[in-house]
Amino acid sequence: MATTHSRRAFLEALAAAPLAAWAWPSWMPRLAFAPAQQGPRGDVLVVVFLRGAADALNIVVPHGEAAYFRIRPTLAVPRPDDRRPEKALRIIDLDGFFGFHPALAPLLPAWQAGQLAVVHACGAPDESRSHFQAMELMERGLTDLHGPASGWIARHLASLDTGNTSPLRAVGLGDRVQQSLRGSIPVTALRSIADFHLGGDLAAAQALQEALATMYRGEGELQGIGQDTLHILDTLASLDPLAYRPSDGALYPDGDLGMSLRQVAALIKAEVGLEAAAIDVGGWDTHFAQGSSQGLMAGLLDDLAGGLAAFHADLAEEMNRITLVVMTEFGRRAYENASLGTDHGHGGLMFLLGGHVEGGKVHAQWPGLEPEQLFGPGDLAVTVDYRDILAEICLKRLNNPAMDRIFPDFSSTVRGVIREA
Amino acid sequence: MLDRRTFLKVGGLLAAGAAASACSPVYARLAGALRPAAAWPPAEEGTFRALQRLTFGPTAAERIEAAAVGLPGWIEGQLAPSQIADPAADLLVRPLDSLQLEASDLAAWDREDVVRELRRASLLRQIYSRRQLLEVMVEFWTDHFNISVDKGDCWFLKTVDDREVIRRHALGNFRDLLWASAHSPAMLVYLDNQANLKGTPNENYARELMELHTLGVHGGYDQADVMELARCLTGWSVRSRFWRGEFVFRGDDHDTGSKDVIHVHIEPAGQAEAERVLDVLALHRATADHLARKLVRRFVGESVEQYGDIVARCARALVESGGDIGAMLRPILLDLPLGRIAEPKFKRPLNFVISSLRMLDGDTDGGSGVQDPLARMGQLPFAWATPDGPTDEAAPWKGGLVSRWQFALDLMTGRLNGTRVPLEAWRHTDEKGESNSVLDRFATLLLGSAASEPMRRALQPLVSDDGSLLVAGILASPAFQWR
Repeated sequence: MATTHSRRAFLEALAAAPLAAWAWPSWMPRLAFAPAQQGPRGDVLVVVFLRGAADALNIVVPHGEAAYFRIRPTLAVPRPDDRRPEKALRIIDLDGFFGFHPALAPLLPAWQAGQLAVVHACGAPDESRSHFQAMELMERGLTDLHGPASGWIARHLASLDTGNTSPLRAVGLGDRVQQSLRGSIPVTALRSIADFHLGGDLAAAQALQEALATMYRGEGELQGIGQDTLHILDTLASLDPLAYRPSDGALYPDGDLGMSLRQVAALIKAEVGLEAAAIDVGGWDTHFAQGSSQGLMAGLLDDLAGGLAAFHADLAEEMNRITLVVMTEFGRRAYENASLGTDHGHGGLMFLLGGHVEGGKVHAQWPGLEPEQLFGPGDLAVTVDYRDILAEICLKRLNNPAMDRIFPDFSSTVRGVIREA
Repeated sequence: MLDRRTFLKVGGLLAAGAAASACSPVYARLAGALRPAAAWPPAEEGTFRALQRLTFGPTAAERIEAAAVGLPGWIEGQLAPSQIADPAADLLVRPLDSLQLEASDLAAWDREDVVRELRRASLLRQIYSRRQLLEVMVEFWTDHFNISVDKGDCWFLKTVDDREVIRRHALGNFRDLLWASAHSPAMLVYLDNQANLKGTPNENYARELMELHTLGVHGGYDQADVMELARCLTGWSVRSRFWRGEFVFRGDDHDTGSKDVIHVHIEPAGQAEAERVLDVLALHRATADHLARKLVRRFVGESVEQYGDIVARCARALVESGGDIGAMLRPILLDLPLGRIAEPKFKRPLNFVISSLRMLDGDTDGGSGVQDPLARMGQLPFAWATPDGPTDEAAPWKGGLVSRWQFALDLMTGRLNGTRVPLEAWRHTDEKGESNSVLDRFATLLLGSAASEPMRRALQPLVSDDGSLLVAGILASPAFQWR
């Protein structure tokens, strides 16, 4: 226990010190590969970004609003008590007002365990309705494009020196590093753990790796990163992604999201220094043939719910040190369009999954869907800035109070989405 | 003229270079006469390091050429790219039909094809063009005037911007370059100026024009200047139907009335208002200083403050020459003995990949074999989302070692699509059984000098008959990540 205490005291001293000027003394051992109980500070942050502006109103449906059914004559998901369609096609009621799209049924265990929360009618102040600009601003955590070019997660990691030099401290799942992770921290783009090896002819890779171990010995920042990278290669070599057995019989769906979440789970369990992971899920720009209980978006939701549910089951033991956020650049128009889809709107939603989330609850200051309550050309209004949510996570779960660095042009309000310790 | 001493000095490289470029009978003849028995001599370090900055990684042939004519002469030659015949690059790029098309024709193409061809052309030129300084400056200005093909119609507009703005003016005049960029539909779309209308201004382009393209963030302008410049730029737009993708000034959308931008009073004059501001910005002292710093950072090193005198001379040259980019480069490339530069520069992913292929005389079609690894490393051309362009700082790139090691191994074991290094061409100069000398030859080729003793020990087990693993080891080494 003494170790725990002195470590905590040390971390508190660290938090009190001016972060920008603070650096680890060179004699400090690197903590990246320290024993598991000394893992990275705060929770592992996993951010799942739904690219293309997901339709919040058909994901967590405000079925208590008569207006919803009026303005979505063909796209509305049937009421929970609508006896015409079979039950599996109706809204799953959550609190008498909001309900899940039926494809989100796999999320009910996490919801009932109080580890899954929804934040509704949230989003950014940006009114461009441009995917490009909105995603960029959101990933940079800014109000307008004038501000740091780096991403908010990168600034969180850069402003919190956990002494963790692992090249897997920040990982972008996919071909390219997400904007949110770009900045003055090393970040690894990882398509899959299977990628994080030298591939090809086993003997050749082995010989090269041995040579690298010698060449990257010695002083120097790059040498340090090289040694860490080799260490990770060794660690991951024993982590055969095909042989990885999720706990509790959790079954990740096929497809990119399931694969990515499975990789993140494997990395978390392997204790390789992961502090932040970003995952992209595309396909949410449903201008055309979006569907209702079934159809295009229902398929996307199947994948999303299946993936998150598997992640939750797989990491049941680790949930207390994980915070997963699902976000999207903006919501879609409240009115359906003429091609059975929805156009770019404003207010969206977020999902929060983790052991300390104020779960089983839809957090919302509901703005309403009546014409006079809608925003601009007929969009759900934004009543909670997405940065309020992220800031609360940084403060309460990531031990990082440096809000002026993470969200430099924003002053956040605590919304109570994370339980007090 | 090549004197005997130069011949001997570069003979080793010459032999290898000649073997590799079978299409060059002159070198082949010279090589036959001069193939040395000893290991390759190290390149003169200063020249090698200078060439590392002036090219995407010097080929053996370029090292020979520079040694023969002397670095200053070689640089002057590079500053006049139109005088350099470039048949190899021309031939490779010629089949890419989309490169020469106008925007309205490109708009009818398949999006993937247009972007793929643009990337292929860019990579092929970086690897095979003999006009290396031009290509280095094309990269510099592509970063400076960054446009992502993922934004709106930029997927086809960038092809025109690349040809008419960046490549046309890369070693020309900065005022012309800035003028062309401001009238470039790709830039106007990328920075939302078509949404900049009378009454509902969009400041995006106006701001970046001053912050990134000219004055720099501390260049002495304020928010009021941004708003006033945005007013000047209202109505600068892009045609969406007939002549789709052409620049158009729409008077109806223009905010008439006088403006004041950075202490310059602008009388109502329609399109000419913003053009007047462009002229002021192009040769503004703050612009010259901003550009000089970026160039010094690119060519010399990250600690720009140490090179204050060069920055000052470089900035003065821009103003005094009326915007001549060559004049601006001379204080950096010529007056500064580049060989004196002590500060190594970390290769960005693009430079790592291209230098591997160039220095080994690799064969590539510029397709997925190089594009996929570059995407994984985070520097696929024309994909950088933010207008600041891919950073020139080393730190953010250092985390990607695994993708580099992977590329080295995949390249040397023939696992990249359409991309390979024919080492058999280099093997002609191998001395059987002298593994040390093979090791030193490739180290000299790729690192400029023989490997250090610890590195030699590490690489020794990789020496084999075909040499591929040894080369992979050098490409993956810490030393090759720097230039």
